[in-house]
Amino acid sequence: MPETLDTLGVGRVLGTDDATPLSFWVALGPDQYLQLDDVVALERLLPDGDTVRIYGLVTEVRARHEGARFDSDVFLIEDGILPAEVSQAAQILATRFEPEVFVPPLPGQLVYKAEGDERDMALYFDGMQKRLPAGLTRDDEPLYANLEFLDGSRGAHVNISGISGVATKTTYATFLLYSLFRSGVLGGEAINTKALIYNVKGEDLLFLDRDNSELEDEDRDRYQRLGLPPGAFDSVDFYASPRRDDPVAAPDVSTRQTGVTSYFWTLAEFCAEGLLPFVFADAEDDRQQYTIIIHNVVAKLRDAAEGLPDGGIAIDGETITDFESLARMIADRLQDDLTSADWAGRAIGQGTVNAFVRRLFGAVPHLKHLIRGNVTNPDRHRIQRQAQVTVVDIHNLNDRAKRFVVGVTLRRAFDEKERAGQQRPLLFVVLDELNKYAPREGSSPIKEILVDMSERGRSLGIILIGAQQTASEVERRIVANSSLRVVGRLDAAEAGRDEYGFLPAVHRQRATILKPGTMILSQPELPIPLVTQFPFPAWATRASEAAPGKGNDDGDDPFRGLD
Amino acid sequence: MPQKVAIESWDPDYGVPSTEQAEEAEVEIDVGVEVPEQRWAPIPAQIEQHPEALLFIDGVRRIDANAWLEDGRSPVRQGMFASFAAGAVRVVEQAHVDRVEVRRTLFAPGNPEAFVTRAGTYEPFGVATPGADALSSALQECLGDLEVDVAARVADNADLVVVDGPLYRRQHLPCTIGYVKTHRVQYLKGRPLETIAALAESERTPVFRFRTSWTRHAWYLRLPGSKAHAWSGVVRLEATADLALDETVSLANRTAAVLPRYASKPHKDPRAPQNLYPIAGLERELRRRLGDAVYVERALRAAAT
Repeated sequence: MPETLDTLGVGRVLGTDDATPLSFWVALGPDQYLQLDDVVALERLLPDGDTVRIYGLVTEVRARHEGARFDSDVFLIEDGILPAEVSQAAQILATRFEPEVFVPPLPGQLVYKAEGDERDMALYFDGMQKRLPAGLTRDDEPLYANLEFLDGSRGAHVNISGISGVATKTTYATFLLYSLFRSGVLGGEAINTKALIYNVKGEDLLFLDRDNSELEDEDRDRYQRLGLPPGAFDSVDFYASPRRDDPVAAPDVSTRQTGVTSYFWTLAEFCAEGLLPFVFADAEDDRQQYTIIIHNVVAKLRDAAEGLPDGGIAIDGETITDFESLARMIADRLQDDLTSADWAGRAIGQGTVNAFVRRLFGAVPHLKHLIRGNVTNPDRHRIQRQAQVTVVDIHNLNDRAKRFVVGVTLRRAFDEKERAGQQRPLLFVVLDELNKYAPREGSSPIKEILVDMSERGRSLGIILIGAQQTASEVERRIVANSSLRVVGRLDAAEAGRDEYGFLPAVHRQRATILKPGTMILSQPELPIPLVTQFPFPAWATRASEAAPGKGNDDGDDPFRGLD
Repeated sequence: MPQKVAIESWDPDYGVPSTEQAEEAEVEIDVGVEVPEQRWAPIPAQIEQHPEALLFIDGVRRIDANAWLEDGRSPVRQGMFASFAAGAVRVVEQAHVDRVEVRRTLFAPGNPEAFVTRAGTYEPFGVATPGADALSSALQECLGDLEVDVAARVADNADLVVVDGPLYRRQHLPCTIGYVKTHRVQYLKGRPLETIAALAESERTPVFRFRTSWTRHAWYLRLPGSKAHAWSGVVRLEATADLALDETVSLANRTAAVLPRYASKPHKDPRAPQNLYPIAGLERELRRRLGDAVYVERALRAAAT
């Protein structure tokens, strides 16, 4: 061990392990330490007189006894019987060479911690025109993502993987949104940039507009360090599914009483916009015969249905105000010999018709409160993306209904963007449980939309922030098209799969022990993913955390301001 | 003509005679120093406070290459390049290698010149008589001097200094004992010899004095370990004869109380239990400091051409 080390240095490149341009080990000087994720730098002088600066990240640190040969020697050493020294070494994965001369560092070269501008160099932050605060290191230094890889200029989409409950996927997704809206990185566009968030579990996202009363000062500091004002989202609309069997369609939420609007689709919209395929999970699957009928019925409904004031429809003079009646009417038409050729199409077998009818009725109990024509003023219940953030709560819905709601709303957003023909302002879509909507196997209308979004969203200005427990179960193209990949806690079997090939071995191992609030972030410019922490949400994530409202609630709440 | 060096291509260890310091058999033994001969019996270890600072001193040597020297004036001479090192382990709660001195020397008859290689400079050491044995003895002597030197530098505030090998020229150091692992000569006979065989673990014999060209106090101690034969685990310890008897006895008691703790186990050291852990650790460290033998030899060859 070196007796003394230059004041700045933490150690020297060691020569007992191979030093390569990509990875090398550093023996630490006495009284020095490096921890995982520390950023280091060193200089190598080339024979031609040029200097190469090599930057890297600490990915592994080890300590061992030098002088011990047997495992049990540790007892002798601790008892003061066998002489030995403790040596510490850190493995560095190189992130950057400046200039790009890929030579290994030489054993014996002094290594020091990179701070300030050097750290920015090491992590490529210096070259980022638009830096999106993406989290903090363990010692509260800010980490950035390059916005150009998120806003469509050079790439788009985020994909987040991790075990439910401990991976904090949704919280990180909302943190990214908060950072996008509040860091100023979007400039003047921030005001018009919108987000559509699906709340899939609990009622966590129903308090985005409330300050978090449990936010500690030290968390505020962490926001400040990132250049973010700690607080809630400014402009949020909340939509929740209506209660079942409730004639006035009150929103089905339990923790938030005000400021939540229920959503549903009128039968008139259902027919006019051709939403029937979204009722079926596998409507695009060519192996299924009955899908032919779907498209026929869609066309038939679009032609035949006349809208009524409360959202009901009239078909051939028959008034229909609820989904169950519509389903029955469709079934009658398909099974009646006089109309079946017209509705089902020619030469459709009875078995195929039955398959369609069986699936249609199977969906009725789950969808009848979402597709209806029996509530006055139905326009109030249409999901409008007026606010900056629109939260659509689907956590109370059955899987089939979830797919319907997500499919229909995404399709609408997609169509609008396509019609507008402008990439800006951007629309961010946050969707958890991607494996449910875009599973690797099979085909469905919603999967098609998601794949389309991941492929064309970059140019259309729709950015998908998707999340799932296991990336291995999600359609490859969606994951592959995501520029930013984020991993929270993974189980060991999942972490070993090919989908996480962007993680070096050490990071895979670390992914199995990540704590809530810590993620591994991989972005295209950095060859090594960064382990990042994000601060405790500054917005409430449950009723108990919600500070009194900021006036975003409906004006007709007489008890506003009271607890 | 400058000194010309040719490195012998044979393995330097080949044909080198053992030059362990020969123990002299012509000795005069006085067994009645601590107790009269008739009362010789094993003495159990006294419970004694562990010394605050304990030192172990040892040295290693390696012949890096044999060589032929030519300077144009005298006939071709046989020389020897050797590296040797001495060091100490200090035990104060933890054991640490305290001081290591490494030397590289060119031994040759006459007045050889220093020899610079990229592994370091070999300092010259003139030997009076030609021949391999003289070179080897010179090396042993230099190593002994180095050990004395190291011991003198570190021994100051130690309660007990254990020197590997016979005490040999270190008797002037305070609290220093020589630690002899192998027994080429039987000094004792009769009841004292039987006492050695009767020693149990951590028991020692009474102190005896032996005198040849020099005088020393000595005693035998049995270290813990399986008792395969009468002498297994027995070491001879030597102290200077300049000490008063009670001080010598106290030193002997201290060794019996302290040293068994450092005895090695056979699965970790083929020379167990006599090769004490701290000394084994020190030897490993010293050998490491000598540098890689292949590299050093290469450096010598490179410098010789």
